[in-house]
Amino acid sequence: MQRTIFHLDLDAFYCAVEELHNPDLRGQPFAVGGSPTRRGVVASCSYPARMFGVRSAMPMSRAVQLCPDLIIVRHSHDEYSAMSKRVMTILHDTTPFVEKLSIDEAFLDMSGFPGEPYDLAVGLQKRINEELELPCSLGVASNKLVAKIANNMGKARQRTGQPPNAIEVVPPGTEANYLAPLPIRELWGVGPKTAEKMHEMGIQTIGDIAAQKEKLLIDQFGKIGYDLHLRARGIDARPVVIERPTKSVSSEITFDVDVNDSDELKRSLRQQSENVGRRLRKSGLSGRTVQIKVRWEDFTTITRQSTFEQPSHNDHWIYETALDLFQHVWDGTRRIRLIGVGVSGFENAARQLSLWESDDSKQQRHVQNTLDDIRERFGDDSLQRGSDL
Amino acid sequence: MRVSVLQENLVRGLSIVNRAVNSRPTLPVLSNVLLATEDGRLKLSATDLELSISMWVGAKVEEDGSVTVPARTFYDLTSNLSPERIDMELNTRNQTINLQCGGTDTNLRGIPAEEFPLVPEADPNAKIVIPGEVLKHMISEVAFSAAREDNRPVLTGIYTNFSGNTLTMASADGFRLTVRKTTLDFEVGEELEIIIPARTLVEIEKIIDDEDEVFVSVPDGRNQIMFHMGDIDVISNLIEGSFPEYERIIPANHSTETFLYRDEFLRACKRSEIFARDNSNIARLRVEPSSDGGPGAVNVSAQSNEMGDNTSMIDATIEGTGVEISFNIRYLIDVLNVLRDDQILLETNTSSDPGVIRPLGRDEREQFLYVIMPMQVGQ
Repeated sequence: MQRTIFHLDLDAFYCAVEELHNPDLRGQPFAVGGSPTRRGVVASCSYPARMFGVRSAMPMSRAVQLCPDLIIVRHSHDEYSAMSKRVMTILHDTTPFVEKLSIDEAFLDMSGFPGEPYDLAVGLQKRINEELELPCSLGVASNKLVAKIANNMGKARQRTGQPPNAIEVVPPGTEANYLAPLPIRELWGVGPKTAEKMHEMGIQTIGDIAAQKEKLLIDQFGKIGYDLHLRARGIDARPVVIERPTKSVSSEITFDVDVNDSDELKRSLRQQSENVGRRLRKSGLSGRTVQIKVRWEDFTTITRQSTFEQPSHNDHWIYETALDLFQHVWDGTRRIRLIGVGVSGFENAARQLSLWESDDSKQQRHVQNTLDDIRERFGDDSLQRGSDL
Repeated sequence: MRVSVLQENLVRGLSIVNRAVNSRPTLPVLSNVLLATEDGRLKLSATDLELSISMWVGAKVEEDGSVTVPARTFYDLTSNLSPERIDMELNTRNQTINLQCGGTDTNLRGIPAEEFPLVPEADPNAKIVIPGEVLKHMISEVAFSAAREDNRPVLTGIYTNFSGNTLTMASADGFRLTVRKTTLDFEVGEELEIIIPARTLVEIEKIIDDEDEVFVSVPDGRNQIMFHMGDIDVISNLIEGSFPEYERIIPANHSTETFLYRDEFLRACKRSEIFARDNSNIARLRVEPSSDGGPGAVNVSAQSNEMGDNTSMIDATIEGTGVEISFNIRYLIDVLNVLRDDQILLETNTSSDPGVIRPLGRDEREQFLYVIMPMQVGQ
């Protein structure tokens, strides 16, 4: 059956949300992210800022060099998630087949909808533009691979300093021709190493890959060679996955300044643990493995984990385990740049309740549920531990 | 010792007393059965020091005496003899017993009876007398929910309470609780509260004849219970400790009453169990009252990541609000299997409160109640 897949991406999403709250930002070069003096990075930048060469994930200090008038706006993550939820609601209202990729990106399976795919895309874009005042771009094709590339291409065509709000349609049957002139790095699965090797082989465009003998690609690149040969011809049978099962829940923090203060590290571990615990409980998950991640000041990163018989999502359990793991790797002086906690090894979250649940554990669970409710309603910062003040 | 017995009487007796033989005995003599002449009968006894069973078999005693022989071997041998008279004679010098039956001649080496622990005898005039049928029915409905492992030994036992004319038995394994009561035809003088190993009662259930009268005594200071029925004595140690206060966990009220046909509900649960097996045995019950006053429905479902899923919709009369609640399906199957009643009542509150199952339309003297804790599942 002929499929119709949309790839939808909100244009400079964080910036667009900031502009809604502060219309003075419109048309200005600004970036959402951390402070340049403390090594923040650019999380999102406005289209006027992009005209100066500012890009996402760039160190803020570099962004300021490129664009001295750059306005720096602090992250307001809660508002981005709230807005993202509203976008996803509209998408789910359009079709039940929505695969959320990230806070601002999703695939939709629109196969079999009456009307021209282009008109459907215009209708959806208009709804998001008007109801939420957010710009968004769509790529439309017969599969996920081509839809996503089409969206990137459509946006790249508009270099005006304004949000692209683009729509790019690749009609069925023209996928291979559409991809042929594009550079190989546009193809999903071609990383820097593969690209370098391909360039050595004289392969520059996706069309060049498609023209190669399949066997040669398999000989050179193994299984990925086979996949790339298919993809280069615009073939991708992956379905739109409505819900992707979560494999792990983690939370980490990069310190503004490298830290070797034991109290601060412990506090941070506990905050990450509580954050992970709350998200687990919200998703009804329990895991058997607790993992910590530590990045030292020289950027080397280590992980350590510990696995238990029984799955849990209890904050205290996560924290105690994480702390124990941490105390085994930390000598008490080494400076730390990043610290994170994760829980994986999910088992059925089902928990057999006990007839004689000890009053302690009942109370602990009760307290945890109450805290979760308060944070859910009033935001993450609404509650703090006395020791954190 | 010189004694003659009928093969079928001996085999029946051995099949009963051998229940007390532990397959991994702590002393070699405990894998043996004691044979002893007593008042013109042959007494058979076996024990594992926790549970002892004795039975008296009609015999022709020509010379008194006693010996122990390997229980398993003796049973295997005698059950394969022809249904005739068995003549047994003990050679006391080498503790070997000679058996003659039809054309079969067997010599079986034993261990002297003196090495066998003393097995006390029950009081045949005990004051507590329970009809066999009543006790059997009670045990069949209460023993199943006792804990199997003994990390909390009291939970491997059946809480038993005689008070006034009421006998109460309760068992719990931490996730479910069964309370069974019966009204006796007499008053027990002083209240009696003990914990009997579930295993003892399960063995007794198998031994009792419906027509038997069971004489129960709990001698002072011995921490033992004695049952006497027909020609059989069962003596068991009691479990020391105190049973948890189970009355507290019986929900005082409920928001939904669901009336179900037991057989139909049981079959729906068994279908779900196939799919719940590799998913922590979880099955979900969705209780849906009808909106127009007609009968409602209960939706029983389970799913397996590998196999697929199963949903059964069964008719039910529902009073109260709709509820979705998950249970370990085995705990439901267990209780539905032991009940014989046509209809049952399921009482529920929220998805995290215990559910209660009661049989409907039964004799008021035979009360049954089952409390089952739900499983909590994420969204």
